[in-house]
Amino acid sequence: MPELEVRRLTKRYGGTVAVDDLSFAVEAGKVTGFLGPNGAGKTTTMRALLGLLRPSSGEALVEGRPPVAMADPLRTIGAALEATAFHPGRSGRNHLRTLAVAAAIPGPRVEEVLEMVELTGAADRRVKGYSLGMRQRLALAAALLGEPRILILDEPANGLDPQGMRWLRDLLRAQAAEGRTVLVSSHLLSEVSQTAEELVMIRDGKLVAQTSLAEFTAGGGAQVRVRAADLTGLAEALGETDATVSRDGEALLVGGLGAERIGDLALQRGIALRELAPERQSLEERFIELMGDEEAAP
Amino acid sequence: MSLLHSEWLKLWTTRTTWVMLGIALLGEGLFAGLYVGLAPLSEIGDIDSVATGTGLLLVMLLVLGVLIATTEFRHGTASSTFLVSPRRYPVLLGKLGVAVLVGLLAGVVYVAINGGLALSLFSSRGGVLPATGDLVEVYAGVVISYALICAFGLGVGAIVRNQVGAIIAAIAFFFVLSPLPELLPGSLGDYFPAQAIGSLHGSSEGDGSLNQLSGGLVFAAWAFGLWALGTLLICRRDLSE
Repeated sequence: MPELEVRRLTKRYGGTVAVDDLSFAVEAGKVTGFLGPNGAGKTTTMRALLGLLRPSSGEALVEGRPPVAMADPLRTIGAALEATAFHPGRSGRNHLRTLAVAAAIPGPRVEEVLEMVELTGAADRRVKGYSLGMRQRLALAAALLGEPRILILDEPANGLDPQGMRWLRDLLRAQAAEGRTVLVSSHLLSEVSQTAEELVMIRDGKLVAQTSLAEFTAGGGAQVRVRAADLTGLAEALGETDATVSRDGEALLVGGLGAERIGDLALQRGIALRELAPERQSLEERFIELMGDEEAAP
Repeated sequence: MSLLHSEWLKLWTTRTTWVMLGIALLGEGLFAGLYVGLAPLSEIGDIDSVATGTGLLLVMLLVLGVLIATTEFRHGTASSTFLVSPRRYPVLLGKLGVAVLVGLLAGVVYVAINGGLALSLFSSRGGVLPATGDLVEVYAGVVISYALICAFGLGVGAIVRNQVGAIIAAIAFFFVLSPLPELLPGSLGDYFPAQAIGSLHGSSEGDGSLNQLSGGLVFAAWAFGLWALGTLLICRRDLSE
């Protein structure tokens, strides 16, 4: 049973359709990137999974059940939605305390999550004075409060500085490695492509693709740039596969084969690799092509 | 119980609550002290009318009740709240409990201030205090009216959700429209909120076909009815921001 699942989910607001007959499932133990341009329906889908809004038709399921049927909500699912959803006059610590008390989570856990997101020093200041990045971290602290089995994060990287982004990536990977389910939305492929193993892409409320990052990297026009000690030997080895190989100066551009497979192949042949890099540019281009929207561009 | 505790914490972790109640209690204290201390005894007449206060605390508790519901929507914290409790009515039950409790608490502090100042000044100036039983009745009515009006405000806030709109609606419903029912035929007007509170206070402002207990029950029915409607609406609404 998938941890999170939407089945033929449709959500209409008046005449506009925010989510249109969308189905996908999210498995435990990996980070799933939920991608789409702004307005694609990501937030609506996430809110349906959290029981905050009712589907017009179809279902949103958490551990196989509707979200309102969760026995212990904060320990099942933790969510960080928009970073602005705090009372500006309440301190960060008190915000977390109100949630902890409601879910019967002991007080020391509040201090633990404050420490985790590095907000201990600012915990008694009112949220009014927090930067966007601090608000994002407070939202993450709230999501982590119940040590939930599932994390749903809506554009968590907004407002984070480069160190913050790196910290977030490490945190998400660690959470997934512990067997938790992590669904993280973004309108930028580059933000999730270093973390997510699985990608769910939507546009105009409809599913465009659900694929692993490796497949996405290998598929279509995406290419991997390889340099090796024995470039000719590697080109020969690659020639025996379905990959398309072209020479680019001191490197090879390989299409139709993921970076991992190329690495494995090189190891089998005993060829030392000097560089092995998925061509980011082509990944982004493919993503934009799929999304068909300028907004998906960085 | 944990949701009640959480709502109680929410109430007291913003300055608004402290400031509003502080100002209102200070105002009531000043009124009790200055009016009973300085006005001619003949003008004060019946100490009962002093015991029910100026109405400032009543208005503040009405607004505070509205805020208990609307701040969650204004600042978007309703989403976090309903993530902890995807079933929404227990949260609103917690809010109802908090509204009643804060009204009772403010009422007890009010009675201490008003009773302490007004009664002691009045008797020290040679005024004749009513029987203890009568005083207890008046003060009990006042305390209960504070608890109920906060719940009344919560109900209006839960229905309207927009903060400014809800405050205007609550005040308009309670105060601005209050002379209108007087124009209604028979005793129908006695069942309107302001008139019912008047009866609960034991004042004879309403024509008084309701006694204190009935006035209290009628107003409690208003408060509970609005709360129930507001709860029903919130349970059905989408939270998309």
